Amino acid sequence: MWRLNKVRHKAGRQGDSLEELRLQRREHERTLRQARRDRQLVSKRLLLNEDEEQQDIIMDTTPGEQDVVSLVHKLQHSGPEKEANLKALSKALQDPSAQLAFVKLENSVHLLVGLLTSSNAQCRLQAVRCLHELSHSPHKNVAPACLPATSYLLTYLSGPSTKFTELCLYTLGNICPDSDVVKEKLLAQGIIPALATCMENQRHNLAVVEAVGFTLSQLLQTKDAAEKIIPMVLASTLSSNLLSVLTPDPEFGLAPAIECAWCLHYLTCSSEDNRELLSRGALVQCSSLLVSLGRAVAEGNKDEGLELLVCPVLRCAGNLLSSCPVEDLSTQVGDVHLVVALCGLVQAYLHTQPALAREAAWVLNNLTAHSSEFCSALLTLNLVPRLLQLLPFSQGINTMILRILANIAHKKQEFCVQLTQLGLLSALCATLKMAEQEMVTLSLDVLFMLVVSSPQVAAEFVYQGGLSLLEAFQYNGEGERRRRATYLLEQHLLSY
Amino acid sequence: MLQPDMFQLMTAGDVSVRSCHEESPTVASEKQQQRRQSESEEENPFSFSPQRFHLHRDHELFEDGDIKRHMYLQDLYVSEAEDKPTRSVSEVACHISGCSSVFRTLEEYEYHYNSLHRHVCCSCHRSLPSARLLDIHIQEWHDSLFTILAQREDMYQCLVEGCGQKFRTRKDRKDHLIRIHKYPPDFRFDKPKKDKSRETKTQQQKDATMEVVDDVCESEGVCEVMCNMLSDQPEHEESMETHVSEEEAAGMAKPTKDLPAAAQGSDSTSSAPAKPQYSYRVPPAVCFGHGSVRGFRGRRGRRK
Repeated sequence: MWRLNKVRHKAGRQGDSLEELRLQRREHERTLRQARRDRQLVSKRLLLNEDEEQQDIIMDTTPGEQDVVSLVHKLQHSGPEKEANLKALSKALQDPSAQLAFVKLENSVHLLVGLLTSSNAQCRLQAVRCLHELSHSPHKNVAPACLPATSYLLTYLSGPSTKFTELCLYTLGNICPDSDVVKEKLLAQGIIPALATCMENQRHNLAVVEAVGFTLSQLLQTKDAAEKIIPMVLASTLSSNLLSVLTPDPEFGLAPAIECAWCLHYLTCSSEDNRELLSRGALVQCSSLLVSLGRAVAEGNKDEGLELLVCPVLRCAGNLLSSCPVEDLSTQVGDVHLVVALCGLVQAYLHTQPALAREAAWVLNNLTAHSSEFCSALLTLNLVPRLLQLLPFSQGINTMILRILANIAHKKQEFCVQLTQLGLLSALCATLKMAEQEMVTLSLDVLFMLVVSSPQVAAEFVYQGGLSLLEAFQYNGEGERRRRATYLLEQHLLSY
Repeated sequence: MLQPDMFQLMTAGDVSVRSCHEESPTVASEKQQQRRQSESEEENPFSFSPQRFHLHRDHELFEDGDIKRHMYLQDLYVSEAEDKPTRSVSEVACHISGCSSVFRTLEEYEYHYNSLHRHVCCSCHRSLPSARLLDIHIQEWHDSLFTILAQREDMYQCLVEGCGQKFRTRKDRKDHLIRIHKYPPDFRFDKPKKDKSRETKTQQQKDATMEVVDDVCESEGVCEVMCNMLSDQPEHEESMETHVSEEEAAGMAKPTKDLPAAAQGSDSTSSAPAKPQYSYRVPPAVCFGHGSVRGFRGRRGRRK
């Protein structure tokens, strides 16, 4: 049902073996993780020229710096073959060392800017393609060199040609995280209003929408985005337009929805007050989308890339839930079957992507923390047994699941009794023995709530051999657990 | 793996929202609140309350998803799961102080616990974490000779193996354990019993033995109740109390009520005179573990 457009795959370019590719990918992943730890996780996107064959790129072994210099000379002398030269230049600029050489040449960028504003449409297209290649450069100095072109690129955002607009957008998106200077300049030149207008006018052109989403996401990830950029974005039409694209189009595929979802994530995670977005129905949208996605995943939908959308939508939902007033929860979430979807997502991704499963569990926690309604739904929709089965798994999933169960127990005495009937006590006897400290302490807390709820529960716990388990805790090295176990034994269990 | 305290961000709105919510509870949850609040007077250590977590962009939980996102942007995305199977099941750990064993399965853990930590006192069915502590427990709590000797000599051994020091009172031993062996002062040692005679006993027990380290008589309350269950004799309970109060009385001025008289009588009932002391270690059912084996070593003899 939902496709992911996989036109641009770097793998094709090099023709390496599968194993080599895997190794490269793992290496890349390591680099990215380190970059994230350094708070420097930034990516650029390259829009491949669909006119060109992949073969061409491989066979045209990189022309090298010399060609760049000669091409620039040719272009500066206004020859008749401007278009051809430009095209050749754009190919040459695919090579990083050529990119470096290019920006070192005097007035090279100004040359491009001039061609960017030429009356010849083809020239304009090729010129922007050159700029796009430059913007994608791995060298730190190259992309900022495109600065002189930005005001023009912004103007062209409202132009008629889709391909052209896309290139402009991706170029802008690539260069804005490179330096603060560039970012400030772009903001001063009005990039946010320009993006808003572009998206408003081209809402039905999903390729452009995807590009706007990408560029906006780049801006939203910059350092002071919360103070400088986000208020502007929230005040504009961008947030409503982002929400309207959230549900993926079956024809076009997932990509635009993915970009917009990430933008929304950057918006919701940067502030603990999401009133603006809540009032525009962000949580309503995210919830219903999660219900559809959950259903799709549960039905075994093998659509590629679904998790790329599930992830940011989960995060939006999670953070919106944490700031949504409790009394509005029912209206904002709408469908109580969200709990089913979330449980389904946890189970579906448990083994393949445990981090994603953990995020889904986090959302479920935020949903149930202060709502009797959703806690009750977990019981009536028979989801508790499934939750209990998730308790053995580590990497943070079990603590979150146990929190959810604790949320339920905390609400009502009847819930405690029901939980006991569903087997929570025996599950606790196992979780009390786990290595993870937080699990053990939480288990004791939950046990307390259950035991206090009714004498039957306390008796049942004793019957299951819980006393000796707690006694063992009295020799525990950790004070918190000692105290809890002792308290439970003395105050509540000794009469059984 | 998540660290216990990783969720530190909480919305300010969350706190106020929570209190709003609690202002209009249903009847059932009101009762729930009351039940839990009444706990607080007795130093309820339980602190769970439902919480919503707002996660900032750089949160650890988001790392994997961010990486995938950027791999996708850089055209490195692959849909099939990477080769390493990522399912991991939580490990089981032995929580006994000083024992840091970790196990993959519950079975391994049970085996470990039953062989090393299940030293069961056959009088009170209390489980002690080591043979040595079981010995000391039996000696101090189920041996009337000990009580008598303790009035004249330093009988309370230091619990640390190899130290060898002995003390006149539990309190002295406790102080020693805290001062010299750096035991945490809140490590429960003796607890006040929860019953009718608690009020009077509490003070004494607290003064003398509260917050002494380690286990030996940590079980005192449980011990007595268990005995109660087993022997079905209310006086039995009293006799245990007696042991306590006598020892306390040694150091304190406060007398206990009528117990000294009862003590003599109950003493004989509690310790079946015909049986040698060490047989307390022999349970009605067969005992696995070191406890029962050691019960037959020479050391027991001197208790007679």
